[in-house]
Amino acid sequence: MSACRRFEEEGLLRLEQGLPLGEHFATCADCLAERAFYERLRGDIAAAGEGIEPPPGWEAELWAAVAQRKASRRRPWSWWLLVPAAAAVLVAVLLLRPSAPPPARLALAVEVETGTGTVRRGAEAHPGDRLRLRASIGEAGHAELRVYRNNRALVLRCSTEPPCRRGQGTLEAELPLPAIGSYQSLLLTSERALPGEAGAGLDPDVAAALETGARATLGTEVEAR
Amino acid sequence: MGAESAAPRAAGEDPEQEAREALVRGDRDGVLAILVRAYGPALYRYCRQMVADPDLAKDVHQSTFLQAFEGLEGFGGRFLFRAWLYRIARHRCLDALKIARRREKRFPGAGELPESPDPDPGADVSLGERDRIAAVRRCLGELAPHIRSAVLLRFQEGFSYDQMAGRLRERAPTLQARVARALPGLRRCLEAQGFAS
Repeated sequence: MSACRRFEEEGLLRLEQGLPLGEHFATCADCLAERAFYERLRGDIAAAGEGIEPPPGWEAELWAAVAQRKASRRRPWSWWLLVPAAAAVLVAVLLLRPSAPPPARLALAVEVETGTGTVRRGAEAHPGDRLRLRASIGEAGHAELRVYRNNRALVLRCSTEPPCRRGQGTLEAELPLPAIGSYQSLLLTSERALPGEAGAGLDPDVAAALETGARATLGTEVEAR
Repeated sequence: MGAESAAPRAAGEDPEQEAREALVRGDRDGVLAILVRAYGPALYRYCRQMVADPDLAKDVHQSTFLQAFEGLEGFGGRFLFRAWLYRIARHRCLDALKIARRREKRFPGAGELPESPDPDPGADVSLGERDRIAAVRRCLGELAPHIRSAVLLRFQEGFSYDQMAGRLRERAPTLQARVARALPGLRRCLEAQGFAS
């Protein structure tokens, strides 16, 4: 370790501020050695990013997600317009995907739809806004969406019945936010029947579900204020 | 259209200008295709180092572009698309890390991000250099996320402090101090792993 610490204490910040270093830093052997070390470290940090590449097929998957997002926003009478685009995307995905497909990942996407119809991702909402839940459930035999207010009150629980809509590998639901509070969404999946509510809020319910071998996925917590 | 693999940019090609022109034409798919081709790989690199887990990085990376696609109509054009994308990615990464931490707190073991092997830094890097770069990656991973973000944007992505401050809504002196304080921390971490000089 160097005896003179001025480079670490002053010199580093001056360099980041784009200011010239004083005379001391040009003559102090310790500071010159320190400067050389940190210049190498900057290069090492830059080099640490090399070789990190996106996984194969990522662009095709992105375009498939864009097409899916567009389709979900499109008016029902124009669904047939999507058929050629969807077919093209499907072909692209099949051609570009890795040879061994990854296992289905569970995911729970949460969006907030405001009174004006604006949809956004994010953790903030107002009472009256609608929470839109979209889950990927793979091939799970049983799946359930739940929303807890303030981690205690179960304000939504559904599986195949309204307001849930189960599709091919997906489960969706919407919930108007009735009051201020935090809303935590939860996706439970299992090959066996899922347990009912334990009755004391989110944590005991999840613990009970995990004990039966179910998988639990939390969505973004939304704060209505 | 967008499904072709990322191609290196030709000399003189300006993705910012091309994307602006496509936006003026109302060609949102075109804008996205340009941004994906120009910035997709680097943005993934940033996401991967921010969240560590490759699957989570892939999700965050994709959601960054989806959010950008949906926000194109509100993009005022006052900033570079590139800086705008990194701002979205930074928020998505910090959100993802927050959710993982919350999950881990609530269900210990369930939200822990899995260890994943370091990507190969390249064939022309010597064994000693590989070890050192692997150590630098580990040490970057130990920085607090908002500090790691500033260090990556500065030294890997080459943003100026003014660019970072403008889009991250932080003050340039704050970011400068954050990065200057992070470097000695990285040094101590490297020294602890046997890389003293």
